[in-house]
Amino acid sequence: MNVLTVSGLRAWYVTRAFGIEREVRAVDDVSLAVARGEIYGLAGESSCGKSTLIKTIAGAVRPPLTVIGGSATFEFGDRRIDMHSADPADVLAIRWRHLAYIMQGSMSVLNPLRRVRHTFIDFAQRHIGKPELEFLAIVRAHMQRLRLDPAILEAYPHELSGGMRQRVTIALATICRPDFIIADEPTTALDVVVQKEVLGLIRDIQREMGSSLLFVTHDLAVHANLCDRLGVMYAGRLVEEGPTADLLRAPRHPYTAHLVASLPRIGDTTPRASLSGAPPNLADPPSGCRFHPRCPLAMDICRSETPAMRGTDRRVACFAA
Amino acid sequence: MRVLRDLLRSNREFAIGIALLAVVVMMAALSAFSPYPPNDSYLVPPDVPPSWAYPLGTTSRGQDVFWLLTFAIRNSLLFGVLVAAISRCLSLLIGLTAGYLGGIVDRVLMSFNDTFIVIPLFPILVLFYFVMRDRMSWIGLALVMAGLGWAYDARLIRSVALGLRAREFTETAIFSGMTVRQILLQEHLPYVLPIVFSTTMNNINWSIGLEVTLSVLGFTDINTPTIGVMIYWANQHTALVAGIWWWIAFPVALVVITFVGLFLLAVSMNEYIDPRSRLGRFGA
Repeated sequence: MNVLTVSGLRAWYVTRAFGIEREVRAVDDVSLAVARGEIYGLAGESSCGKSTLIKTIAGAVRPPLTVIGGSATFEFGDRRIDMHSADPADVLAIRWRHLAYIMQGSMSVLNPLRRVRHTFIDFAQRHIGKPELEFLAIVRAHMQRLRLDPAILEAYPHELSGGMRQRVTIALATICRPDFIIADEPTTALDVVVQKEVLGLIRDIQREMGSSLLFVTHDLAVHANLCDRLGVMYAGRLVEEGPTADLLRAPRHPYTAHLVASLPRIGDTTPRASLSGAPPNLADPPSGCRFHPRCPLAMDICRSETPAMRGTDRRVACFAA
Repeated sequence: MRVLRDLLRSNREFAIGIALLAVVVMMAALSAFSPYPPNDSYLVPPDVPPSWAYPLGTTSRGQDVFWLLTFAIRNSLLFGVLVAAISRCLSLLIGLTAGYLGGIVDRVLMSFNDTFIVIPLFPILVLFYFVMRDRMSWIGLALVMAGLGWAYDARLIRSVALGLRAREFTETAIFSGMTVRQILLQEHLPYVLPIVFSTTMNNINWSIGLEVTLSVLGFTDINTPTIGVMIYWANQHTALVAGIWWWIAFPVALVVITFVGLFLLAVSMNEYIDPRSRLGRFGA
């Protein structure tokens, strides 16, 4: 059963200044589904729309970001909630309790002028709805489970190391034992040792709680280690999707193929070929397939028509595949 | 508390500022022990120069300058603090709201704000006096000045709030369902408080200065003794021409002490708040 169903989602940054309207099509026609207990990875280079996509999925949409069409629907038990058409009160009610969001740059999720304890109270107490002392007892128990010293509740964020802050953020997001966790590059700023710890922590929580996880990073190595299924984005569109091992072993979209080919391997010293050009300006994306200006396999049809995602288990959006 | 002790020890401006203000506050506190009511005249022999009996001399209206001065500085200080407190509340409310909400709210509030920045205050205050005349009390003037003195700092606070709005903890606060009021009070207010603290000193200075100016010219309630009102009466009795210099010199000296003290405090606060100027102390 799918916990999250995204269909045909379009989210654009629409700005209007001096009478000129600009649309940046950061997320264009994305459909995907995440099953219960599944870890779904979202890969792609910077500025391909990963963060915008999950912001939109989490319903954290603020102007100039605008949802143009499509839907993102969560199903928690018998509750079905479309994040963009449901009553805001219903959306608020599922957030944090059922849907956790570990934000990008989550080092700064903690207000530097508030003790960690206050941040927990500010953000999470109302979702648990217990009096302060009882709530703090729950927080302490939760932190111990995550092998964090409850004493740091009294600390200010700047007194913690980066890895600790990251783990506090994860503790903060998962305090309500959510059914669905969205994590936006939670390990990007950490060195590999701490990264491994944090990833292990996230996976442990996910296993223990049986929640689903939507994990975003541009680091394919992390994806390979963590994710059950992988979706690759390019220029605001999902271009390929499939079980992680399958997709990495035999990529079918030329973009994914290049991405995988660029990965370094231990012992292999041959230079990696890089793809010429840069991701397109999403305010004025190329016609047809957005990858065609950089694609070695580009055909005439790629310039005029947009390829749709085809397939069921392994999906790919390419005329050449 | 430790911060205060460190500042006292390492920051000479802060230490001098505190000492000067302590003198001023002590003077104001002494008003409670005054043997004479502030508005009565011909209680003591007039025009006596400073002596042991009358340490700061007496006025031509038969008032003891020392005791009169305690009332005057008390009222002037209270006036400054009142104006600063009210205008701080206004600038916090408007600055934080405009910065956080942005969009049309921001534009409306800031055009309002900029109007207050550009209008000339002095003629308006004089105008208020001519319209209100005798109904223009000490409190009334404080309210009017507070209503005119918030604009600069509201803009300053807004600029900080604009930056805070884009921080992740604000996003998380919104995601967790905190209301706008909770976000502003719990998450953003602690950030701007140091700035508010520092601008408070400047605002007290500004309001006392303006009040003195207005009073000297007689554009305020001249029956409530303040520093300016004291100087006004001294001028009315042509104290300088008559050689009663102590009637003017002591209030002026005291208000200068107040200004310098508050200014030094504001400067050292600024330095404490801004890490870059703190580094500058080490001669980087």
